[in-house]
Amino acid sequence: MAEKGLAEKVRETQVWKSIFRHGPPNNARNRAAVVAGNVFLHLHPIKLKKSGVQLGYTWCMGGLTFFIFLALTVTGVLLMFYYRPTAEYAFNDIIALKEHVPLGIMREIHRWGAHAMVITVWLHMFRVFMTGSYKPPREFNWGVGVILLVLTLLLSFTGYLLPWDQLAIWAITVGSNMAKATPVMGHGGPGAMLMQIGDFVMVSDKNDVRFQLLAGRFVGEPALLRFYILHCVFIPLVVGVLIAIHFWRVRKDGGISAPL
Amino acid sequence: MKELINYLADPIRSFPITCVLYFLMMKYYKVVGTKKFAWIAGTLFFITAGMFAMDPNFWLIITWPDNIPISILILSVGFLTWFTLYKCAENDKRIEAGECPIEALPENREKVWAWPNLVYTELFAIIAGTAFLIAWGILFDAPLEEPANPTWAPNPAKAPWYFLGLQEMLVYFDPWMAGVVLPGLILVGLIAIPYIDTNPKGNGYYTFTERKMAVSMFMFGWLVLWLYLIIVGTFLRGPNWTFYGPFEFWDFHKVVAEYNVNLSEFFWVFGLKQALPGNLIIRELPGIILTILYMGIPVALTFNSLNAIFQSIGESKNKFLNITMIAPAFKCLAGIPAFIEKTGYIRYYIYVYLAVIMAMLPVKMVLRWLFSLKYIIALPEWELNL
Amino acid sequence: MSEVTRNKLNRREFFSYLSVGWIAFTAACAGLAGMAFRFSYPNVNFEPEMDFIAGRIEDYEEGVDERWKNGFGVWMVKEEGKLVALSNICTHLGCVPNWMPAELKFKCPCHGSGYYTSGINFEGPAPRPLERYKIGLTPEGTIKVDKTKLYRYEKGQWDNPNSFLSV
Repeated sequence: MAEKGLAEKVRETQVWKSIFRHGPPNNARNRAAVVAGNVFLHLHPIKLKKSGVQLGYTWCMGGLTFFIFLALTVTGVLLMFYYRPTAEYAFNDIIALKEHVPLGIMREIHRWGAHAMVITVWLHMFRVFMTGSYKPPREFNWGVGVILLVLTLLLSFTGYLLPWDQLAIWAITVGSNMAKATPVMGHGGPGAMLMQIGDFVMVSDKNDVRFQLLAGRFVGEPALLRFYILHCVFIPLVVGVLIAIHFWRVRKDGGISAPL
Repeated sequence: MKELINYLADPIRSFPITCVLYFLMMKYYKVVGTKKFAWIAGTLFFITAGMFAMDPNFWLIITWPDNIPISILILSVGFLTWFTLYKCAENDKRIEAGECPIEALPENREKVWAWPNLVYTELFAIIAGTAFLIAWGILFDAPLEEPANPTWAPNPAKAPWYFLGLQEMLVYFDPWMAGVVLPGLILVGLIAIPYIDTNPKGNGYYTFTERKMAVSMFMFGWLVLWLYLIIVGTFLRGPNWTFYGPFEFWDFHKVVAEYNVNLSEFFWVFGLKQALPGNLIIRELPGIILTILYMGIPVALTFNSLNAIFQSIGESKNKFLNITMIAPAFKCLAGIPAFIEKTGYIRYYIYVYLAVIMAMLPVKMVLRWLFSLKYIIALPEWELNL
Repeated sequence: MSEVTRNKLNRREFFSYLSVGWIAFTAACAGLAGMAFRFSYPNVNFEPEMDFIAGRIEDYEEGVDERWKNGFGVWMVKEEGKLVALSNICTHLGCVPNWMPAELKFKCPCHGSGYYTSGINFEGPAPRPLERYKIGLTPEGTIKVDKTKLYRYEKGQWDNPNSFLSV
């Protein structure tokens, strides 16, 4: 009997066996057990059509989008340790992230990751369109994907305000002023003037959609706090739920598309 | 040479050029979708890009940290557009020969184990992605300007790059259109795609011949209307949102004579030589009638009498009509009754109205360039400008 | 006895209770959503003062005066015998135009709207002229600008005596 290798000895310990119930994935039974038994891997089917693993077919853009989302979550949580969303501190905290914190590229990774995610999500949509993968039975999942794309843009947009520099405040001023022009619901949009009874103005700059977004008549400290909460809590939660639905439906609709 | 490129880059000229290039690309996609073409085009692209980058003004624009994603986007979209056409051309040749697409070959239909095939691909993608983000983070600092100052706007004040297409639309439309209605319709239109496109072919493989209409419309919206406008908004818009060529210095005092006129002024003041009527509705009546007529196009297209005309033009053998694609376009229009019969009126109207509203953007652009037209309907009293 | 109680709720009644239950549930959800919506509109917000004292008429020379621009977002424009308080918020998307003394115009950096010194738009995408604020004299003879009241040209409000001071 040959001497057992170290790897094999480790695999036979009670600790290892308590964590991994199956043997090494070098036969069909164990390969199935790895994917089905692991909470992270069970997102995948045990076997899948070949097109699902061909880079020339999938471009891997959906997977990369999800990876970048996770990377942004991790770097974002780390950034939250050093950032205070107030007009007084926000800008200085951003500088401190570079100057006073070890590994000062965390903000860079977060910002470039956000841009990269916008790009990968667009390219993912491009690929899904070009392979006709939105066609039945995947119509609903395409809709979920479109909403996820919009939420990605909103995540990036709300994050744009947080450094509280000139770039941030004016980009958000321009963006949020479009909300002012919403028909009927914004005070500068068509139809808002009809919502007036005598001297009583129903839609004004104190109660329209832009006010709800900014918690004020212009981009100030309340807007910073509101965007911070939207960016760090509200939209990521919604995105997380929708990602779960999106992945679930990919599996339920028959996996990654292939010729019928 | 640089002057010529600056001159051609102005949206008045570069938008039609882009449209023509797009048209040629889709018409000759089998030529574009070859490896030989990719090598030639790629080499030419990098040589031109290198020559462009020698120019200090262009270098300033592309190295501005928040513009780097756009360079990455241009490179990846350029490659992937070629790649998708390559795949389409490959499959279409097989389909025309009566074979199945490559994705449907038996060796591609077989099932493979998720472990190790998929899991290791993912692991590699994660490592590559991490390395890429870290390298990008080390090489380029995230931009940070002076602290926020609500009383002084930087010049030019730009939205984040992925919204610059919308910001560029704001030059031609009022905020309620460019900022609310059009983005809303893009969203609704995208979600509606699977319910409008009832063509069962092309599900799960790359193809162009089997779904020409869907692919060419989507690619036009994505490449020309969305990405082209983003590139213009990023690279070619300088202080005061005036146009600057790629090699032009961003001079804050560049004076651009621009005076835009409303349709009502054209009609009453220049046409009928009288003052604008006091009554708002009468003043804007020409614009309102034009808009109603424009919105009536989808209804008119279903008329039988018009359909006969479309058919006769569509079947014309005239060389000019065929080369300029006018005849094939009319052939498409002549197919509308059959389309309605197949998919129903609701689908037809949703589809055509989305297309008509999407077309409003190029229409308004052209009207602005040709006639300096500001608004078709100008009712600032009601905040309703179109 | 048990037989009787069981019969008290027959099939039809069960469904009517069920529908009442669903209506109540939907109403409760709508109510909660409404409350959450109302919650996002604070009753008080701490934004800068909306009116200020802008010195005396003699302080201003003919033309555009920028001294209140940074603090209060107002240009004082004195021309043709009138002194007006012009808003510095572009009517297009709310950027802050720059005063360009050489070209005698306000030019917005965001989308290139241009305005004459009177506030009337003449180039770019701006849909309407800049707004004017209420301006008046206090009993002490100082100028008081009240930004809560706007006067808009296209509504013919610039003729309103509160929208300018005769000088």
